[in-house]
This record gives sequence, C-alpha cells and structure tokens, in this order.
Amino acid sequence: MLRVEKLSVSYGKRRVLNSISLEVNSGEVLALIGPNGAGKSTLVRAVSGVVPVESGKISIDDLSRHYELVSLSPMQRARSLAVVPQAASMPPAFTVWETVLMGRTPHLNFLGQVSSKDEAIARLALQKVDALDLSERRVGELSGGEQQRVLLARALAQSTPILLLDEPTSNLDLHYQVGFMETVGTLAHQDKLAVLVALHDLNLAARYADRVALLVDGKITATGTPQQVFTPELISTAYHLPVQVIQHPFVDVPLILPGNK
Amino acid sequence: MFRKYLIVLLIVPLLAACSSAQASSATSVPTQPANTLPSATANPAITLSDGLNRTVTLTSPAQRVVSLAPANTEILFAIGAGAQVVGRDETSDYPAVALSLPTIGGYSGFNLEAIVALHPDLVLAGGINTPELVSSLEQLGLMVYFLPNPNTLEEMYTNLETVAKLTGHETETAALVDSLKSRVAAVDSKIKPLSNSPTVYYELDATDPTKPYTAGPGSFVDLLIDRAGGINIGADLFTKWAQISLEQLVVANPGIIILGDSAYGETPAKVAARPGWGTLTAVQTGQIYAFDDNLVSRPGPRLVDGLEALAKLLHPDLFK
Amino acid sequence: MNIRPFLYTLLFLILAVILSIAVGSVFIPPADLGRILIGWLDRANFSEPLKTFAFILTGIRLPRTALVLLTGAALGGSGAAYQGLFRNPLADPYLIGVASGAGLGAVLAMSINWPYSFWGLLAVPVAAFIGALLTVFLVYTLARVGKTVPTTNLILAGVAFGSFATAVTTYLMLRSTGELHRAIAWLNGGASQAGWEPVLAILPFLAVGLGILVLSGHALNLLQFGDDQAQQMGLPVTRARTLILLAASLATAAAVSFSGIIGFIGLIVPHVIRLWFGADYRRLLPLSLISGAGALLLADVIARSVIAPQELPVGIVTALVGAPFFLWVLRRSKNQGYW
Repeated sequence: MLRVEKLSVSYGKRRVLNSISLEVNSGEVLALIGPNGAGKSTLVRAVSGVVPVESGKISIDDLSRHYELVSLSPMQRARSLAVVPQAASMPPAFTVWETVLMGRTPHLNFLGQVSSKDEAIARLALQKVDALDLSERRVGELSGGEQQRVLLARALAQSTPILLLDEPTSNLDLHYQVGFMETVGTLAHQDKLAVLVALHDLNLAARYADRVALLVDGKITATGTPQQVFTPELISTAYHLPVQVIQHPFVDVPLILPGNK
Repeated sequence: MFRKYLIVLLIVPLLAACSSAQASSATSVPTQPANTLPSATANPAITLSDGLNRTVTLTSPAQRVVSLAPANTEILFAIGAGAQVVGRDETSDYPAVALSLPTIGGYSGFNLEAIVALHPDLVLAGGINTPELVSSLEQLGLMVYFLPNPNTLEEMYTNLETVAKLTGHETETAALVDSLKSRVAAVDSKIKPLSNSPTVYYELDATDPTKPYTAGPGSFVDLLIDRAGGINIGADLFTKWAQISLEQLVVANPGIIILGDSAYGETPAKVAARPGWGTLTAVQTGQIYAFDDNLVSRPGPRLVDGLEALAKLLHPDLFK
Repeated sequence: MNIRPFLYTLLFLILAVILSIAVGSVFIPPADLGRILIGWLDRANFSEPLKTFAFILTGIRLPRTALVLLTGAALGGSGAAYQGLFRNPLADPYLIGVASGAGLGAVLAMSINWPYSFWGLLAVPVAAFIGALLTVFLVYTLARVGKTVPTTNLILAGVAFGSFATAVTTYLMLRSTGELHRAIAWLNGGASQAGWEPVLAILPFLAVGLGILVLSGHALNLLQFGDDQAQQMGLPVTRARTLILLAASLATAAAVSFSGIIGFIGLIVPHVIRLWFGADYRRLLPLSLISGAGALLLADVIARSVIAPQELPVGIVTALVGAPFFLWVLRRSKNQGYW
C-alpha cells in the first residue's frame, strides 16, 4: 500500500498541503476530490517526487517490504510508482509504441536499450488499455481519449505497484471519461495496484472509486467510502455550493446534484 | 527517394568544382624556375628581425615575392623590385603594371593554395595582415616577412630599406630615399615660416552625414596635414579613426574640406547638399576637394606624393 | 535500430570529405590525384607538379577538411541537443550566448598585443573558448531558481547576456579600428590558422562533449515530455539537463574558438534529419553530428571555389544555401508538423 503520513508542502511561504495523511491499499482505487486550488495536483506531484516535501513521510508498506520514498533517487522511485498525467501537449512526433516503451525507463540502462521482455511488457500494457492497434500511429494524430489511454499504457509499462493519476479525465469527452475510469478500476482490481486518482468530476469519483478523500484548502476533511464522503453537508461546505445527494437509479452509488430543493 | 536527394547533393558541389577548375586555370602550378641570381651581387646570408620579432633569413635576395598588402606592392615596385613580384593581393592596384600579376585573395580571406602554388621564396606581409595568416604561411614552410606599419616618415624610409635588403636593391633604394627626403625638405622649407594655417577637415567616411569619420590623432593623415601646414580639426579626438558629430564640425568650422572618401562616390556637390552642412564656411566658399586617399593611407613612398598634394591644396599660392 | 539512416549519412559525409580534398582554388586534375594516391608511399620522389599538388593536399586541404569536419559535427550535434533540451524548434547552439561570449573573449584578446609565439597565437582561440564557457556558467547561475533551472529563465538570461556581450564587443571593435578587420574576419567564421594545431586543440573537447551527447539520446527523448514526466519516469532531470547543457556548450565553445561563428548548421541540420528520419534522439543526435560535418564541408567547398581565388565567408554560404534547401525539404516532407 501507499502510505502518506503528515505530509506538508509549501511554495515559498505559502503552505499548500497541511499535514496530509492517507493510505491507498493494493487493489483499491482512492479518488482524491476537492475544489480547484485545494492541492490535488500538488499532492500527486509531491508523492511522485517532483515537488519538494517540507515534512512528513511517504512510504510503501506491504507484507513483503517497507521503505520510504522521499530519500530515493528518481530512478528508484520510478520503480515504485508511475504517474499518468493529463494528455496535454505530448510530443507529437513519437509513435505510440515509442511512447509506451519509454515507460520502461526505470528498468533499462541509461542508453535506453530495450530487450524482448521490455517489448512484451509494453505490448501487454497496450492490450490492457485496448490501444495495441494504435502502435504505429504518431501521438500527434490521436484523439484526446486515445492519448490518455496511451499515457495509461506507458504508466502500466513501468510495472509499478502504485499508480498515480492527475485529473486524467479533465479534457476528455464523456464517452472517454467513462471508458477510461472503467479501465482504471478493472486494472486496479485485477492486477492488485494501489491507485490514487485526482478527479474533479464528483460523480465519476463516486461511481468508480472504492474510497474517496476530500481535500479542502490543503487539508483532508474526510476519508471513506463514497457513501460516507458524498454527503450534502460535507460537499456543500467544501465547494461553497448547496448540493443534493440522491441514490443512483441503477448502481449502488451516490449521485451529486448541485442546487437546493 | 533518398537516391534522388543524393544525386542532387552530388551535382551542386561538382558544378562548383567544375567552375573552380575553369576559374583557376590561371593559377595552375608554374614549374620551378631556374635560379637567376646575378653572381656579381652575391650577398652573404640576409638575416633580419621583422615587425613581429621573428628572425627572417634568406640565403640570397628574394626573386619570387608575393605581396599581401597594397602598400607592400607599391614599395616593391618603387625600389625597382617589380620584376621579382609573382603575386599580389586583390587590392594592390598601383602601379598599373601590378594589375597583371595573379591575385591570391585579400580582405575576405587569403588563398593559401594559390600562394603555395606560386612557389614564393618570400611573402611580404603588412600591418593589415593578421598574425594568424603569418602563422599559417609559416606552417606551410614559406618564408614570411612582416613589415610593420610605420608611424612616421622616417619609419617608412626604414621599411623601404628593409625591403631593399630583402630583394637586393639597396643602391637604388638609397637614391630613392634621398630623393624622398629632399622633396619633404622642400615642403618643410616653405611651410615652416608660415604663421597661419588653414583648418582642415579630412573626411574618411560619411555614411551617416550627421556623424562622419575623420582622421584622428596619431594617424598618418593627421601627421601629413600638420606637415603640409594645416590644422587637422580631428587632432583633438580620441582614436585614429575618429567619429565627429556634425555639431562639433560646425563649431570647428574648418576652412577646407578634403574628401578622402571620394573613391566611394562623395563629391563636393553632394557635400554641399547635405542637410545642416550649408553653414560651414568651407561649403560656402566652395573649398571642398576630392582627394585620392591612397596617397595618405598606404604606408609607402607615395606618402610623400600625398604630402605634396596636401600642401598644394592647403597653400596653393606656395606650390605651383 | 534501423541502420539505413546511418549508412546514408555516412555516405554523404564520405562524399563531402572527398570533395573537400579534391576541390580547391588550385585545380588538381583527377589523373594527377590518382597518381598521387597510387604513388603515395614513394611521395618523397615526386616530381613537379605532383610534388606541389601533394603538398597542397597534405599541408592545406587535409588539415582544413579535418577542422571543418569537426566543427560541423560539433554544431550539428549540439544543435540537436539544444533543440531537445529546450523543446524549441528555434534553438541553436548559440541560444544561451555562447557565440557572444566567444566573440567578446576573442575581441578582448585581439586588443592586447601578444608576442608572436606559440602561446601568443593561441591567445585568441583560448580567450574565445573561455569566454564561451564563462557565458554559459554565468547564464546558468543567473537562471537558477532554487534547485532547478527553468528553461524560460535560461533562454531569457542567455538572450539578455548575449545582447550585452555583443554590445561590448561592438564597442571594443569601434574603439580599436586597427583590429577591426581581424575581429570581423574572426566573427564571420573561417579565419582559422592552417595546419593541424587547431584540430588537435579542439579534438579532446569535442570527443568529451560529443561523446556525452551521443549517449544522451534516451535522456533527451524523456525530456520531450517535460521535466515533471521525465522525472516521474525515472530521469534525474536537473542532473541530466546540466550534463547535456555542459557537453553541448563545451563542444560549441571548442568549435567556435578556432572557426568563428558559423550559423545555420546547428539550426537546420537537426531539422532536416528529423524530417527525414524521425524524432528519436538516440538516432537524431549521431545523425545530426554526421550530417552537420558533411553539410559544413560542402558549404566550405562552395565558399572556397565559387569566386576563387577569393573566398566567401563560410557563414554566408551556410545561410544562402542552407535556407532554400531546408525550405525545399520542409515542403516535400510527409513529416510536416511533427518536429
């Protein structure tokens, strides 16, 4: 599992994350929600090592291993967690195949030489996101949804027990949003990955997350199942907007609707 | 597809090579000529120290000289060594007979191959050539003498004598130097007793007529103007090639304007038409004269011609 | 990895080398060229004109070919590295002020009257080299924010410092008109000394700099995704960028110290390679290196022969010939837009 303990991050004098603690278990999808500016992206970037941490611990805690991530080199950390960013401004000239292969970097030498094992893993990753037929296409030619799937495949090719996703559905059509989150959920459960996904769409989070963490003004105000976190009181307070919560007509998840009765 | 590109890539330089073959047929390699050193003037080894403090040694006077500067070409011909010159730089245009010599490059670069192909036994470099060029020629096994830029007429005479030693024309050159000295003395004798001298503005470049360039202190032009009985208004400026503003020029109000840039198309009419120049006395009295700048900028024997020409301009009543 | 691009570019280079040796202002008939090659071991016994021809070949053309080859390789390779490092198609080896710093160093050295000696003649190239490296160091330090060096800061600091250095250089040139011609000759490229010394002087720096760059292809690929993603995939980003920047700057500084500022090669050659052979930097870098060498050799041949016995500055030829060629390649390419 991924364990974050009392993590604090500041940009200069401004404290952006205040003593954050959460856990993501293997085989579970934890959705990180909250208003814009609350610090969702910062948390993902801090855990992945791109933003320096002021205090706190980030560790991998399993039956077989326990180690902290903050002191690791980028290469070592990349073997433990992989990040799926938003599919914005990807270098258009690389092919899908070349892009996914780059995910193998933490397992390659510095020249980036690939073995047949690496290629097999990349192929498998593409299959899992149903993008194998796109292999020879240039990334610049793909749609937003296809690009996002390629980025997911790249992260899967990294073969890490932990997956972080930073608002992957922000620029996608509804069709692609749903398809993407379905894939993520299936992969998490099947391959026993610990998945932390920052989302801004509350209903998507409610539908596809096993657990939810609500981040407001740099602090976690609630953690739990979607039923537990998606209450009118918690959501209205966090988003400064009155909301209604009803039960989804077909599935056993809450549905969040803005507005009063 | 790439085959086509390769063919194109081959054709362009081949065309260049063919054109160079045609252009350079004039620089085909001459066979090594027999040594025609007159034994009557057999000299001991010639050892001199040149302007870069290099020791230059010749076993006998040079018979195949390549000149890298127009002043050097003028010097060689003036001292009677013209027949020993086998190559010149492209700006060497005096005397006219020098134009028939093959060129080996110039301002935009010197052509080492062409120089080597002429089999020179002496390369005469000057102040306008770079130390890198001298070094390159040395590397190729050529004998190079660097003639430094003179700062006075006396230093120019020394340069003449140096080149005379290198080419075996000491007697003629002694006579030449004597005649130059007496011509200068003639000018001096007429100028020295004068009490008033005209103020002179010598123009080197007026691409921007509000900020033209003139001869500053320490330049040969400044020296010669002074010797010719004039006051150079550029003498108070800071560098040899000095910029002066139109305002300063108006304040200085020279009596005579000499156009050293007439070779670039400046004429007295054009100068008179320049905005703001009409207030100058020299413009109003029509005392604007075109001048051959080569007479005062090339550090060779024609400096004396330049001195005489200047003296005639500045004091026409004294020099007929 | 597909070997065909390497074969094509190596062939191009070999042809360019042959041309560079065979062409010059003195026309050596192919028959004589053949005789020289055949009788090479016996060359001490050559008669005229073969003797002079052989001397021209070994004393003038061979060292010049070697110097131009190395310079072109440095410019092509570091141009590709800079474009990858800054993720900017307009980047070239002079982006962060290497050229201005080298020019300032050279002109400063020219304003001092060094004694004519081995070390005295090295003063200008060494000063240019130091000027170039100092500039990179200064710009890098000015652009640093905490532990990172943001790309935009680097470019801005480089442009600002470059303008400053160029202004000082121009002022110095205007003040000392005696050296003006020498400075202009150096700045326009091609004013280098003959012989093997320049080649030997720059070889170790190029070996180190270009060696590092050729091995950095994978790192550059990762950097195309941005610093964040590159780090998340395992690249130590600041360390990699610093190393690549230093290596590219070292190669460029060595190249310009003897050959002056030659433009276009570092900008255009990587783009042509990219259009023809793709954007994978593991390939792009070595191919740009080889093609840069060949392209500069061709430009130098043209510069030497078009108006012989005069020579055009090679920087003019690279612009005049390079720009239309690049535009032609750009229009014909199916890879348009995928730089």
